Amino acid sequence: MAESEEEVDVLVQRVVKDIANAFKKNPSIDEIGVILCPEARYNRSPIVLVENKLGVESWCVKFLLPYVHNKLLLYRQRKHWLDREALVDITCTLLLLNPDFTTAWNVRKELLQCGVLNPEKDLYLGKLALTKFPKSPETWIHRRWVLQQVLNQVSTLDHNKNQQQAEAVQADAERNEQLSDRLARTLRQEMKVCSDAAGRYPSNYNAWSHRIWVLQHMARGNVKVLHDELSSMRVWVSMHVSDHSGFHYRQFLLKELIAEICKRPAHTSTSCSPQRGCSTVPEGSPCPHSCSHSNGEPSGQEAGGEEDSHADFTTVLQLFHQEMDLCSDLIQSFPGHETLWSHRRHVFYLWDQWVREHQHSCSRGSDCKLIHLTDPDPGVPEISSQSCAGQGHGVNGQKHASEPMEVDGLFLPDPHNSKRLKRGVLLPCPPTLPTELSFVSSVLGGCCNTEQRHFALAYRKWLDTVIGLQS
Amino acid sequence: NRNAAIFNWPKKYSCLLLCLDASRPWLCFWILHSLELLQEPIPAAVASDVCQFLARCQSPTGGFAGGPGQHAHLAPTYAAVNALCIIGTDEAYNVIDREKLLDFLWSVKQPDGSFVMHVGGEVDVRSAYCAASVASLTNILTPKLFENTTNWILSCQNWEGGLSGVPGLEAHGGYTFCGTAALVILGKEHMLDLKALLRWVVSRQMRFEGGFQGRCNKLVDGCYSFWQAGLLPLLHRALYKEGESELSQQRWMFEQQALQEYILLCCQNPTGGLLDKPGKSRDFYHTCYCLSGLSIAQHFGNMDNHYEVILGKEENRLAPTHPVYNICPEKVAQALQHFLRMPVPEVSRQPGGSGEDRPSDTAAASSSADLQS
Repeated sequence: MAESEEEVDVLVQRVVKDIANAFKKNPSIDEIGVILCPEARYNRSPIVLVENKLGVESWCVKFLLPYVHNKLLLYRQRKHWLDREALVDITCTLLLLNPDFTTAWNVRKELLQCGVLNPEKDLYLGKLALTKFPKSPETWIHRRWVLQQVLNQVSTLDHNKNQQQAEAVQADAERNEQLSDRLARTLRQEMKVCSDAAGRYPSNYNAWSHRIWVLQHMARGNVKVLHDELSSMRVWVSMHVSDHSGFHYRQFLLKELIAEICKRPAHTSTSCSPQRGCSTVPEGSPCPHSCSHSNGEPSGQEAGGEEDSHADFTTVLQLFHQEMDLCSDLIQSFPGHETLWSHRRHVFYLWDQWVREHQHSCSRGSDCKLIHLTDPDPGVPEISSQSCAGQGHGVNGQKHASEPMEVDGLFLPDPHNSKRLKRGVLLPCPPTLPTELSFVSSVLGGCCNTEQRHFALAYRKWLDTVIGLQS
Repeated sequence: NRNAAIFNWPKKYSCLLLCLDASRPWLCFWILHSLELLQEPIPAAVASDVCQFLARCQSPTGGFAGGPGQHAHLAPTYAAVNALCIIGTDEAYNVIDREKLLDFLWSVKQPDGSFVMHVGGEVDVRSAYCAASVASLTNILTPKLFENTTNWILSCQNWEGGLSGVPGLEAHGGYTFCGTAALVILGKEHMLDLKALLRWVVSRQMRFEGGFQGRCNKLVDGCYSFWQAGLLPLLHRALYKEGESELSQQRWMFEQQALQEYILLCCQNPTGGLLDKPGKSRDFYHTCYCLSGLSIAQHFGNMDNHYEVILGKEENRLAPTHPVYNICPEKVAQALQHFLRMPVPEVSRQPGGSGEDRPSDTAAASSSADLQS
């Protein structure tokens, strides 16, 4: 049945209006889709709105898309005029059908810049488009542009506000951590959008890349956010054990957290845990769980290089330990997933690198009474010399000459040393080459899954050839 | 017990090209490159038509756009220059306005060494490859143009050994190829951790399918036959230059036969054309890159030392492709010979803008380019 040009014209304009009206009627639309419907039902709109779902019947797409596409291009070539409202409606329609049409996003950029649209509208439109096209590169790119506009606005306001303050008390880092309401809301929304898109398409590179961008631009140096993300992601990755991008995101969070922790002096004067989300956590304080004074002694007084590096080390070790634990758990629960082994490699590699860097700073003479993992103190069964890299080998497999424990003994379990374990410090065993090798052996011993065997052997080979050979 | 065969698809492509459905530079490149790999001659009239079409895609301010009247973008620029070099006639070479092209490259260059894909657009490592490719082929490359680019690309290599789109992201086949090939053009590939890169890319060949995946734990895809396998010739040469003694004189460091099997047995559409994996539909992009990967898997070495591994009948043999530019090596040589006779245009520019009046930064009216990675 051939439609005349006028008929198509009328039809399309009506559809575009129907879509616009649907949004006015229901501002909570949260998903879009095409309804398989090859033939037009007489005189009924192809736009279907049920609860919060907006559907477009498939028969009209072949008229709709070329028509609006063409209209927009003609507008761009200045061959056809469209007023602002028409532009908003047409670009909205277009982008819900084909969000990779850059020109349409660019038109909306112009509308945004002259105040016809507000940024929230485009974030909303993008979010909807992503429910159907979770990878759409142009949607993510436009989203970053919009967020950048929002950030620019906020920082201008912020700047003006601060200039008016009599006391110039707040340091930059602290201001970082105290996100304005708007930013905090926006941040949460972005995390949700990324998470939804990641759930709609496995290993969604663009979604995870965007998530990283958001943290880098909207939560730079914010230890609380990093911790929150790390903890909220545990569940997600446990349900998506092949999602390499998801695990890569954890690697990013770990790296950032560690960099932040080691950057600032850790004030151990409060005892709240970052997991509990204290809003009173002072600048830069991640407050490790096992603050060395859990026996009740006041801890605030010894703010000094030694205690700082102690707290740093403890926190970092805990982070790595938790991550390795998670990894081991998943590897054992879900045999044969390459991503999990790849994640393990990365975490171990990161730890290994961190240790090497900080070994140097420790041997520069600071008093590292941190870890005396030597002793199989019978009173502390959790830590046994067997599981903690025996034979006097450090993480890098080298044998250290006999040096005083204080300097050298970050995690050097010299079995001949009889120093006592510091009471109250129940630190987990740091991952070491030998502990990793024994993990591999235990996996190989227990598994019958061919893929799992293959990955375990490959991991061992990597440990031997890459880690083992580093000087 | 496996019978590998190539179906007769060359004729299909000639028809499509004649219809000039190739409305974008990418389509031109994908189709022309496929034809040259299949050793199908391109009729002179068609070649001329393509030249004229691409001339209309060239922006008055330099570079090529996705279509006539749109703003320039590095991806169609790469495709257009490659397509013109495949055609290789004087008419083709003369389409390229070298001075304006250099202007365009400067306009997308960023102070940190990276390039945006188009004015007002985003940065990713593909742009460095596109810029290096066109600049070197047309002899407009200067050290200043690529100042800091090497370091920026190097910062894209992550612990996995592969490269990401921008620093800090996940390693990815397409981006890894672009970053590595760009460094090869700039003569700086030795600055990568070559061993880590090698470990990463060889792990991307699937043990069961024989084809390559784009990232760890993802599915196989025919196009990675080029983006991933294409890294092995680059690495081979780089390691050779470092004095690596254990390199083979006959084989690349991946399972060439297995890759050929995957492409021939799983990636062909019975009516012609190639695809991602069984069940997917054919398209020109996959046709181009599956064939490119097949060519890489068939040919080892260079003109001086050449060794072939052809799975199945002799008719399956494709022409060799240049592992950096992905057009035939003779076409590369010919283009270089042509453009090296010309002086490098003199342009003193600052990165990030040519100072001309432009529509607002963010309102570039180009429609999206088809580059997939």
